[in-house]
Order: sequence, then C-alpha cells, then structure tokens
Amino acid sequence: MTVLLAFDLLLAASIVGLAAATLLMRDAFAMIVAFIVFGMLLALGWARLVAPDVALAEVAIGAGLSGALLLRTLAHLRGGGLSAQGGASVSAPTNGATQGINALLAGLATCALGLAYLGAPQNVPGLEAHVTDAMPESGVTHPVTAVLLNFRAYDTLMEVVVLLAAVIVVWQVERGLAETPAPALGTVYQGFARVALPVAVIAGGYLLWIGAEAPGGAFQAGAVLGAVAVLGLLSRHVRPAPAHRPLARGTFVAGTAIFALVALGVSGAGRETFEYPPAHAKTLILLIEAMVTVSIAATLAALFHGREPVTVATGKETT
Amino acid sequence: MSPVLAVILTVLLASLLGGLWRVIRGPSDSDRMLSAQLLGTAAVAMTVVLARLQDMPALLDVALVLALLAAVTLVAYVALSERRGR
Repeated sequence: MTVLLAFDLLLAASIVGLAAATLLMRDAFAMIVAFIVFGMLLALGWARLVAPDVALAEVAIGAGLSGALLLRTLAHLRGGGLSAQGGASVSAPTNGATQGINALLAGLATCALGLAYLGAPQNVPGLEAHVTDAMPESGVTHPVTAVLLNFRAYDTLMEVVVLLAAVIVVWQVERGLAETPAPALGTVYQGFARVALPVAVIAGGYLLWIGAEAPGGAFQAGAVLGAVAVLGLLSRHVRPAPAHRPLARGTFVAGTAIFALVALGVSGAGRETFEYPPAHAKTLILLIEAMVTVSIAATLAALFHGREPVTVATGKETT
Repeated sequence: MSPVLAVILTVLLASLLGGLWRVIRGPSDSDRMLSAQLLGTAAVAMTVVLARLQDMPALLDVALVLALLAAVTLVAYVALSERRGR
C-alpha cells in the first residue's frame, strides 16, 4: 500500500499547493479556473477520505456551478464580456492597512480553527452510534440523508432559506432585461446539448431519488438541474421575461414553504415540530427534497442570470 | 489488482499535475480553460478508479456528475466571451 500512501501525500500536497497558487495569482480569470480545478482535487480528497456525499456535493457545486457563477460575475464586472480590454480593472485598490487588517482577521480565524481542532476531545466516538440507533425511525436508509432531512432538519431548512435570501437580495439590487445578443454557440454546442441535457435531467432526478439510500439528495440534484437551466440561459433558449416573475417567485419559495409546512404540520398530538411520523417519514422526506430540489435549481439559475427580469425605465443603463 | 489500480491512480494524478502548469501559467485564457477541461477528464478517471479501489459504487455517481457538469464552465466561457462580439 506504499503506492497508495504516495498518492495520498501527493494529492494532499497538490491541494494545499494549488490553494496557495490560486491565492497568489494576479489575474482574476486564472484564479477562477484554478479554483475550478481546486474543487476537483478537493472532491478527490473527499473520495479518499471515504466521504462520497461530500465529494458529490463538491463536484456538483464546487467544480460545476460556482465556476459558471464566478465567470458570469467576472464578465459582469468587466462590462458584459470576459475579454480583459472591455472594461474597468477588476482588482480594487487596496492599501497596506486594509491588507494588514485582512491578514490579522484571517490569522485569527485560522488560530481559532486550530484551537477548536486541538481542543476537541480525542478518540471519542462521535454521534454515529446515536444515528445508527435512530435509523429505523428516520424513514430512509442512508445515514447522511437521515441526519440532514430528519435529525437536524432545522439546520437544513435554514440552509434553504440562505439561498432564498440570496436570490431576494439579487433581485433587489439588479433589475432589467438582458439586451445582449444571443451568443453564436455553434453546431458543436447543439450536439453537446442534445446529448448532455436529457442525461443531466435524468441524473438530477436520479440523485434526488437515490438520496434516500445512498449519497445524493436535494442539493446535489438541484445543482445538476440548475446547471441545465444555466445552459439554457447561456444559449438563450430560456429568456427571462417580466411575465415569468410570478412563477419564478413561487418556485423560489416552494422549497422553504413546503419544508416549513411539513415541519409544522407533523407537530401536535404529542409530536414536536420536525418529528415526522415514522410510517410516513420517507414520503414526507422525498416530498420536501423534491420541492427543495426544484427551488434550488430555479434559485441557482436566477442567481446566474443575476437580475430581476423587469422592464426598466429608459435612461437607466443595465449591463 | 489493487496495487495496479493504485499505480494507475498515481499516474493519473501526475498527469493532472502536469496539466496544472498550463492552468497557472496560461498564457491565454483559452489555454487555462481547456487545460481545466482536460484535468476534469483526469479527475473523472481517478474517481472511477477510486470507486473500484475502495469498493464504493457511490463514487461512480460522483464521476457521472463531474463528467456532466465539467463542460458547463466551458460553455459559460465560450458564451460569455462572445457577448459584445469582440
């Protein structure tokens, strides 16, 4: 197993090395690409640590969607396109004092993390025993899904609310219709889309369903379906229009609303909030996950689009 | 069997690290983006090998998602570069 040990050491060294290289780069585009590759290496690290759930989330969100989101943001900052000559410089002017304060705060956060790690009790059993004991009541057979959607469902609800809050803020800040012409995505893209998009939709549904018994679930499925929507936006097959707003608002809220309604609905008659009746737990969990998946996919696509599609009065330029 | 897989894994990682040079050095944006795509393929291969080596079929799903989504950033790059028609 010395080969595998060498592999692990090389992988760990390259994760840290690439993180450092990414931070030291001057070019924003190069940083984004390096960050995408960093996400892939990180996913391999999680796979080696026997954490396929985290690896799946990392490739779905880290290597897939956040790369597209960051590229979109960079294009926005550069005035509509990725070409560097097209707009203002991205790097904000920073002085020594700002850098010093940033370094101090980052150093403090690192020290706090180190203290938390060193101060944690060593070699004690975690909560695995409790989770294993409670599994029959959870309604699902995959421990990670049982924890996320049942044992600590309140935290997961708050994570869904974070995405909802993000899209609300984006729609407050940025409005207008996209006026740029459709990009000339040629026959290569059409061939790719014809094969990849149906497969991605099926994969999204598969990840949602398999989450009950194996790594998968709402966030990963939502990210895959969100990527399908992002491709639709990029190729301009999907053109957000003012008339879409009521449906979009309903979709953004649906996941949070159903989650909260189920949580409140099962309470009463001696049950706490979020305490699903074991007989219906799987149905309720899959209902929540399906709605959350659709909400996450729509929210990620709306965040990628980055503005509320509304006709803006003349005289106000939106890019 | 597993020593062979471990060697394959290490060779794949070495090839990925070799491609990383173009991501960091460039010189052009296209060089960076295309090498990232190449590295994505290497990462998919490594995930498949790991699924076999660690006997974890769930990692095949990871490879599937990575293969599907790695191209999204490339499409975003092409589409966003063509706005403005420069």
